[in-house]
Amino acid sequence: MSKSSKKLTLSKKHNLTGWAFLAPGAILILIMSFIPMIRALLLSFQSGVGAQMKPCGIMNYTRMFKDTVFIQSIKNTFFYLIIQVPVMLIFALILASILNNKDLKFKGLFRTMIFLPCATSLVAYAIIFRSLFANNGLVNLVLVNLGILDQPYSFLTNTTSARIVIIIALLWRWTGYNMVFYLSGLQNIEYSIYEAAKIDGASAVQSFFRITVPLLKPTILLTAIMSTNGTLQLFDESVNLTNGGPANTSITMSHYIYDMSFKYVPNFGYSAAMSFLILILVAILAFLQMKVGDKRD
Amino acid sequence: MKRKILAALLASTMILSLVGCGGNGGAASTDSAAPTEDAAPAEDAAPADDAAAPADDAAASTSGAGELTVWCWDPAFNLNAMYEAEKVYQKDHPDFKLNVVETPWDDIQTKITTAATSGDLSTLPDIFLMQDNAFQKNVISFPDVCADLTNSGIDFSQFAAGKTAYSVIDGKNYGVPFDNGAVVACYRTDYLEQAGLTVDDFTDITFDQYLENGKKVLEATGKPLISMQAGECDLIMMMMQSAGSSLFNEDGTANIVGNDTLKTVMETYKSLKDAGVLVEVNSWDEYVGSIVSGDVAGTINGCWIMASIQTAEDQSGNWAITNMPSLVGVSGATNYSNNGGSSWAVTTNCKDQALAADFLASTFAGSTELYDNILPSGALATWAPAGDSDAYGAPSDFFGGDAVSAKIVDFSTKVPSNITGVYYYEARNAVATAITNYINGADIDAEMQTAADTVNFNMGQ
Repeated sequence: MSKSSKKLTLSKKHNLTGWAFLAPGAILILIMSFIPMIRALLLSFQSGVGAQMKPCGIMNYTRMFKDTVFIQSIKNTFFYLIIQVPVMLIFALILASILNNKDLKFKGLFRTMIFLPCATSLVAYAIIFRSLFANNGLVNLVLVNLGILDQPYSFLTNTTSARIVIIIALLWRWTGYNMVFYLSGLQNIEYSIYEAAKIDGASAVQSFFRITVPLLKPTILLTAIMSTNGTLQLFDESVNLTNGGPANTSITMSHYIYDMSFKYVPNFGYSAAMSFLILILVAILAFLQMKVGDKRD
Repeated sequence: MKRKILAALLASTMILSLVGCGGNGGAASTDSAAPTEDAAPAEDAAPADDAAAPADDAAASTSGAGELTVWCWDPAFNLNAMYEAEKVYQKDHPDFKLNVVETPWDDIQTKITTAATSGDLSTLPDIFLMQDNAFQKNVISFPDVCADLTNSGIDFSQFAAGKTAYSVIDGKNYGVPFDNGAVVACYRTDYLEQAGLTVDDFTDITFDQYLENGKKVLEATGKPLISMQAGECDLIMMMMQSAGSSLFNEDGTANIVGNDTLKTVMETYKSLKDAGVLVEVNSWDEYVGSIVSGDVAGTINGCWIMASIQTAEDQSGNWAITNMPSLVGVSGATNYSNNGGSSWAVTTNCKDQALAADFLASTFAGSTELYDNILPSGALATWAPAGDSDAYGAPSDFFGGDAVSAKIVDFSTKVPSNITGVYYYEARNAVATAITNYINGADIDAEMQTAADTVNFNMGQ
């Protein structure tokens, strides 16, 4: 009896320890994340004003394709996604390979400076960008004083410039964050490979495209998925920087969902349905990127 | 070794911060639990006569002892008013206590929404301040949240009718009107002088004259007459109400397509913008900044904007107020309108609703003393008897020695009433979109049609 139980403990001991470590986290995630997600899914099949909800089948899902503002917000979000994510990742990659140079002085200082924007609060930096690009803001002041503009340009009340400001803000905030991933990826690439390439007469550009990019592929894939996910859920910049304006041309999906839940007559069923559309979009895009980017099998 | 110390330090900070969070949470929950417990004994004392009384006068039945929790948002303004009200009420009810919690309006809205949708109203306070524009939406979306005050002993007939209408749903009173949102037009008299104008040239005028005067001011000083926040249609809504027009009909349907007043308003707005008399800014702080830094020669807004204007102490004596311009070619056009304002609501979570009602009845609906005390902070009454008080006739040095308070109370009695409707914010945003596109060259009728479609879509849930 005692013998067999001892035998069992020996084989199960590691498993049990593992489960014991996993359990608290797993239970918390289940309660805090998965149960609300399931409740939200059920909610998305209901409709009604405020607290008076009634089942409505898939009406919320068909409804959103007739919602012009929501379709506009999808277009805006994809505009940010298509322009901002590639530009940001390329920037981050270039910066990472520059800062990976062994002979560079003050490397730590530069790395910190580029990563620092990431430590600022989303709301705070959005408000700072708003005041930078205000009619009497710093950017206009500089442009007018340099004689480039006669009159201050209203950046945030014109569609194209408002979107560009949001993209610039995003680049400033997130490039350093992605750069850190690349830097850590670059640590795993033997420096001797670069030296060998150099001896063989490869230029810096060649070794960047032939060595750095292929060897960093898993990291690039990771950052691409994370950035896509983050951009699809973009909220703070749209709310605080442009307030969705002018005329809803910079509103994001999450911002519209927020308005629908808290600013307008609350319709949580419809909001939940729209949130699930974002989930589906993220899943599809991540799947596509995995298919395209990951050729290990 | 160093690493171990560092690790231990990090771990202990994490634990401390966790404990800290937990501690805060605990404190918050006891905070919100306290008033209900405190209120309980009062309830025990009250219900005996409470149950017998409501037919004649529920307000008289309370002992006046107990504590009430209140949510409102502006320390200089409505929080201050509540503290003053507490003092007034404590004179007759020494055992009364008020627990005023500063809560921004957006947070109040979120908390109401969360509490009402989860069905647990115990997190709500006894009394809270609600934006008038959100009143219909909240009472209709969450019928369980606000207590019916119709027969609570508060005399609603003494409030301005247009103001009370915001908080009346299906003939029942749900709110006690608080601050006045009567629209005033403020002008920099020193700028007007440079253009050879006085504030009399802006009194009882139409928007056509406003535009002409504005061009003169622009030419003489290079300053636009007014700044407005882009994408927000405050001015549009003020213009609409000045002619008694709304974005909704009496039956709740959208009144956008074929609304000639709205069309005139949009055309007027564009002509002001095109002439450079009106300049659009990006945010609220930029808007206030443009006024106090002297970038514009005036503004048109609810009278509460005067509190912000008066922060520019160096401009004392250079400001004057008068009524707003009226629309041209619209029947029922007046020089008076309303923007903003809020009302007190009692929640159903309040354990002693009789006490809450009696408190409001004998302060915000029954004390000229209270209104005199809060007048310096810019809280102007919508309660008619307060306007007769001597304090309202006192001149204001900032506004050139004018008796501005009496003037505003006079304006507020002339404001045409309008229909906010449940879908006020949806309609407002749709119209803001339409006007932005129209200014950028889109066709006005097509844009109005789109706005109406958007609102109808939102209503069809």
